Amino acid sequence: MMWLSGGFIFRRGTSVYHRLDPRVKLLISVLMFATTLLVRSIYELSGVLAFMIVVAAVAMVLKRVARTMLFTAGFSVFIFVLNFIFTRNLDTSLLYASRFVAIVVSTSLFFITTSPDELEQVMKTFRLPRDVVFAFVTAVRFIPVMFLDTIQIMDAQKSRGLELEKGNVLKRVRNMIPILIPLVVNSVVRSGELAEAMESRAYGAVPKPTSLVEYRARATDKVVALAAAFLFALTAYSFYFVFPARIL
Amino acid sequence: MKALDGVSLKIGSAETVAIVGENGAGKTTLVKHVTGLLKPGTGDVTVDGQNTRTTSTAQLSRKVGVAFQNPDHQLFSESVEEEMSFALRNFGFAPELVEQRVRWGLELFGLEEYRKSSPLVLSGGEKKRLTLACILAWDPEVVILDEPTVGQDSIQKEKLAGTIRMLTSSGKTVVVVSHDIEFLWPMQPRVVVMKAGRVVGDGRARELMQDKRLLDSARVAQPQLVEFFQRLGERPEAPFADPLEARRWVEETRR
Repeated sequence: MMWLSGGFIFRRGTSVYHRLDPRVKLLISVLMFATTLLVRSIYELSGVLAFMIVVAAVAMVLKRVARTMLFTAGFSVFIFVLNFIFTRNLDTSLLYASRFVAIVVSTSLFFITTSPDELEQVMKTFRLPRDVVFAFVTAVRFIPVMFLDTIQIMDAQKSRGLELEKGNVLKRVRNMIPILIPLVVNSVVRSGELAEAMESRAYGAVPKPTSLVEYRARATDKVVALAAAFLFALTAYSFYFVFPARIL
Repeated sequence: MKALDGVSLKIGSAETVAIVGENGAGKTTLVKHVTGLLKPGTGDVTVDGQNTRTTSTAQLSRKVGVAFQNPDHQLFSESVEEEMSFALRNFGFAPELVEQRVRWGLELFGLEEYRKSSPLVLSGGEKKRLTLACILAWDPEVVILDEPTVGQDSIQKEKLAGTIRMLTSSGKTVVVVSHDIEFLWPMQPRVVVMKAGRVVGDGRARELMQDKRLLDSARVAQPQLVEFFQRLGERPEAPFADPLEARRWVEETRR
């Protein structure tokens, strides 16, 4: 579980992609996401997925993206089976199942290469309310902590004879109660403590606090952003005008 | 990075072992290998002849009870008595025995008055005692206590030390992971010093705690009595020859 979760959690990196302005990384992910919605066949989607893999290779996060794909594989199979039952169309079912994987990969590429601090700055540039930005970024920042908590709680309960993998589905769900209750209680307690700690450090003292870092796009960022936008426009144009295919 | 590297330890029955070392030295990782929560990449961990690779944690936990560092990671039941009976029910104890063991554990740790209370409303120290009571309730052969003194006042620490002595005298193997050297010293356990995933020292507390260079390198504090003894030893008229005599000497001097 912990190994799979690595496909969604940010870790510092030194690649060219990591060093890009977070707004550019967001743009690339949004464009890749949009492209996955534009594609009309599994062949086109394969091309988009191949492009995502190239981006992952540039960002040196190929292994972690592979984990993301593995993590989503279960849901993807479920989507495929459900679609096949109702549509009896192999192509459509394959497309929808793979589209889900592509959507998750496009968003995961942003989150695993963008630190919570960068994410905060990106959200601030959209002039979102400070409290909303803070709540969202804190939630993202605490994902790895929650994973660690879950592992520790599972260890503690397994040491008291709890067998999580034993019994039928109902029993297994019931077995999760000793895991979920401490996890929720800890999270609530932690959020209360965090709120007190923030207030004691003057959170909200002034309506417009200053920032430690202010992002300014460099020439590289501008070139990459323009290239991404151009590539997206070219792909969209080719899908609908150069290689028109049947719409599923 | 290896969390544990070349660790080779043999712990006998009825032995009291203290594992000390700085944060991140691998102490908790080591005890998780004993319970089978972690499996070794290379080598083997054997508990009472059972290889942890081939034995489930649930099976091993009948023999090895671990009280983890953070009590909030295990408390979930509606009442203290239900919390205590959780493991006993998992191990299939008869209802009468569950009742008997719950009462015994609550009395031992002074928690009878909270029997019907939610474990979540207890103080930090009480929660810690409850987790210890939960472990001792099923009478495991090996008891592992991870930082048992955190949040405990001096009276509770004394009681805890008494409980550890009682466990040892009743033939249990007790492993204590702790930074609290002053708590460990009077028990005179075998001390295992860990640093960066390796065992860098292993011996009786009496000898090992005098090795200031080793303790400093592992960022472990020396017991105050030992430090006092060593400083006095630098003077020709040192009044005692052993740090264990220091307390007696202090008491005699006070009289």
